[in-house]
Amino acid sequence: MLPSDFRFSQTSLQDYVDCPRRFQLRYVDAQPWPAVQSQPVLERERHLDLGTRFHRLVERHQLGMEPDTLARTVDDPQLQAWWSAYLGFDYLHTMEGERFPEFRASVDIEGHRVVVAYDLLVLRPEGNVVILDWKTHRWPPSAEWFAARMQSRLYPLVLVLAARRGVFGAVVRPEQVSLVYWLVGSSGDVVEFAYNEAQFESDLSYVGSVLRGVDRESAREEWFKTADEAQCRLCEYRSLCGRDVEIGAFDQFGIDVGNIVSDDVVLFEDVSEVGF
Amino acid sequence: MKTAQFVEGPAGSGKTTHAIEHIRSLIVDQGVRPDEILLLVPQRVLGRPYQIAFSSPDWPGGADITPVTIGGLARRSLELFWPLIAEKAGFAHPTWEPGFLTIETAQYFMAQFVNEAVETGVFDSISVTPFRIMNQTLDNLSKAAMNQFTLDEVASRLVAAWGDRHSSRPPVYRASLDLAARFRDHCLENSLLDFSLQIDLFMKDLLQEPVFERYVKRAYRHLVADNLEENFPVVADFIRWAWDMLDSALLVYDTDAGYRSFLGADPAGMHDLADLCDEVLAFQPLQSANSAILALAGEFSSRLDSATPVPAPSPANPLEAVHFSTHTFYPQMIDWTVDRISELVAGGVSPREIVVLAPFLGDSLRFSLAQGLEQRDIPVVSHRPSRAVRDEPAARTVLTLMSLAYPEWGYAPPSADIADALGQVIDGLDPARAWLLATIVYKQQSGELSSFDAIEARAQQRITYRAGERYEELRQWLVDSRDLAASNPPDVFISYLFGEVLSQPGFGYHADLDAGRVVAELVESARKFRQTLYPHGIEDWSSVSKEYVTLVRKGLLAALYVASWHAEDQDAVFVSPAYTFLMRNRQVDYQFWLDIGSSHWWERLEQPLTHPYVLSRNFPAGQIWTDDLEYAARREALRRLVVGLARRCREGIFAVAAQLGEQGYEQQGPLLLLLEQLGRQVDADGAG
Ligand code: SF4
Repeated sequence: MLPSDFRFSQTSLQDYVDCPRRFQLRYVDAQPWPAVQSQPVLERERHLDLGTRFHRLVERHQLGMEPDTLARTVDDPQLQAWWSAYLGFDYLHTMEGERFPEFRASVDIEGHRVVVAYDLLVLRPEGNVVILDWKTHRWPPSAEWFAARMQSRLYPLVLVLAARRGVFGAVVRPEQVSLVYWLVGSSGDVVEFAYNEAQFESDLSYVGSVLRGVDRESAREEWFKTADEAQCRLCEYRSLCGRDVEIGAFDQFGIDVGNIVSDDVVLFEDVSEVGF
Repeated sequence: MKTAQFVEGPAGSGKTTHAIEHIRSLIVDQGVRPDEILLLVPQRVLGRPYQIAFSSPDWPGGADITPVTIGGLARRSLELFWPLIAEKAGFAHPTWEPGFLTIETAQYFMAQFVNEAVETGVFDSISVTPFRIMNQTLDNLSKAAMNQFTLDEVASRLVAAWGDRHSSRPPVYRASLDLAARFRDHCLENSLLDFSLQIDLFMKDLLQEPVFERYVKRAYRHLVADNLEENFPVVADFIRWAWDMLDSALLVYDTDAGYRSFLGADPAGMHDLADLCDEVLAFQPLQSANSAILALAGEFSSRLDSATPVPAPSPANPLEAVHFSTHTFYPQMIDWTVDRISELVAGGVSPREIVVLAPFLGDSLRFSLAQGLEQRDIPVVSHRPSRAVRDEPAARTVLTLMSLAYPEWGYAPPSADIADALGQVIDGLDPARAWLLATIVYKQQSGELSSFDAIEARAQQRITYRAGERYEELRQWLVDSRDLAASNPPDVFISYLFGEVLSQPGFGYHADLDAGRVVAELVESARKFRQTLYPHGIEDWSSVSKEYVTLVRKGLLAALYVASWHAEDQDAVFVSPAYTFLMRNRQVDYQFWLDIGSSHWWERLEQPLTHPYVLSRNFPAGQIWTDDLEYAARREALRRLVVGLARRCREGIFAVAAQLGEQGYEQQGPLLLLLEQLGRQVDADGAG
């Protein structure tokens, strides 16, 4: 049983699509399994940390802090390269419109709560909305790879549904939405996906079917394990599942900084000696 | 501010439901964007009813609302606006990004200072472990921050409150505050932010920044603050600061609560916020509430607080809400409890509607209850407050194996530890065989394991070849992994050990989900340790791993076990300390209050280096903390506790006593006396 306040995200839905058993272990059972997920571990950690810092820098800039002030905190050559690329990213800087950095939309799809955290939304003067997402992958994935990801289907879909709830003051039609991945970590290219009514309907039905799949699997004691053992190479549960495969390399495309802003906070009670 | 409402009432009177409907109405009727609503709670678990409502299919939504604590808000804001304040706030390297410390990582730094101070003998006059000196010093820092006292003010309050009892205490207070000051300097030098510094920077620096003020004005138009009575004085300061920028505010206050007063919550100061509001609503218990339980709560309140009026005579008999049972011995009390729970469950009560509460939840109580209930197929979950990682067998095993992987440490574990570890990790190796194997292959002088192939055939046969094969696999892995051990921090090494060996088929942790949890905790604690102390890495990690393992063995590192709500969601009996259950703020049908004769129901933990009531804005600086004040504070804490519990119960309370406590001593604590007194009184009234 999922917790009663469970909210689906692109990561958890992607996990389900990749392997239902992984979804069960991570979210239904909340079962930690402290094996190495992918390697080299420290290099992966450093890459994720730099990705997090880059996302934060952009958010600070979008909130109105001066580039000079921000540049002082950039102390790593890799981060410096990304930051310089960002400052020269005219595609974004010349785009007019109201900006919503790290915006979290929340909608109901077939009785399931789905939450999406956008790196940046730009609400254009004519009512169009551009979804921007920063990708710090070391190698540039192809447009086909992106198109197959849950993120590419979920982001525009949730935006249109959230707009119907009046989040942006007006309804946003699918044709008014575009999704832009900026490959800052590799080629510096922009991969853009236009959206339309047919794609919206197809995504709605696809995400709905995935959610129904989750409901169906819930009846099983042990959820279906993927037949694609390549998935297991990037999954910490491999020994639990008896999958005898090598640990995968982190810079395969499966690993992403993902949604950086976490609502994890330091609990106060962690700080105080509790009397009772 | 266009509208501001203050809602107060006891638990179960519908305040949170009102707040949820208020948020819904803001979104649906007034077209407010959900992310413009700041939802402030004192503790994340208290945001859970909101999270559940926001997750339901009919929630209007569109954008996300996340309940935040003041700590969470401060941290997120500092993370974002750090470049604006780092220099002004006096950090030595303002261009460094801040490192946020948890309780555990704050302890790593504090531990060094405490160790040095303890060596000088300055704490000799109190018998407190270094671990507790560390925690109470961190507590002093937190209390200073949440009241916005300076450290000097904290010291002078503590010294003055001590009065002229005996002179050894004031120097100890000052020593603790010296440690706090050294710790703070260290944080400023290294861009580290513990909870107290986060709150200080947020209140003193960030709120003064025009850029931040503009941001708050744009980001938040509406405030909903629930369980105000459990929040800290700085929260009231923050609300007053933001007040004029908001379009609306709803402040929610539980009249009987304030359970976190001993953690620094300020119910009285929070109640003053009612003066800012144009409407104050008093909620009453719902009509549907059990009248006997309401009568019981009223009796508790008036008997423990002379200021509370004696409740109007009620047709309901409060004793109908509570069932007493007294036993001579502790185990009998547990057996009786298990029997009653089985009857309730057999009678159709859902296990989730039953909680078992005790003032403290020791391992043996938890274990006996869990075992008794599980034997009857009744699911049970327990909340463990905290315990040292090293106490868990799986963690001890991993630490023992690590010592073998790093012979350069020069630490050779005792043979008994090796036997325990082998018994744990080699499938099918019983304790007798594990001991035999350990005594043959392990030489404590060298700290090394020898090969299974080299031992006598008869012994091999007894141990079994299958176990021997596994043992060889493990031994070989440890030998082959010396480079891995040197080139990786302790957390990564443990992950490899767990993933590549211990959780593989044929090894003890292959499908052992509990071991997975424990080792994951250890990995997490080791990761935080090295990320905090060695953020830039190090060439040879071996010394760091040694340092980590040594601190764990000394008990200085206690990775907190945070029981997940997820587990508590299950349809299972919940076993927990009474205060933990209160802070979950949920109602159940039946409560079992165990060991009601124990004086722990009203004693607070002795904290010789700090003081929850003296370090409060409500306590006049310079006043002595007398025995009378202590007595009154305990009575008030007991009142809040029992009234709070009663208000969170729908059907009945089982108050269970053991004449001889867990340690075999006779018990006559104040809760038992109170219930006995109530029983006599009601019987007399009934007879009259
Ligand atoms: S190891 Fe493979 S089968 Fe198991 S959860 Fe991971 S991806 Fe699924």
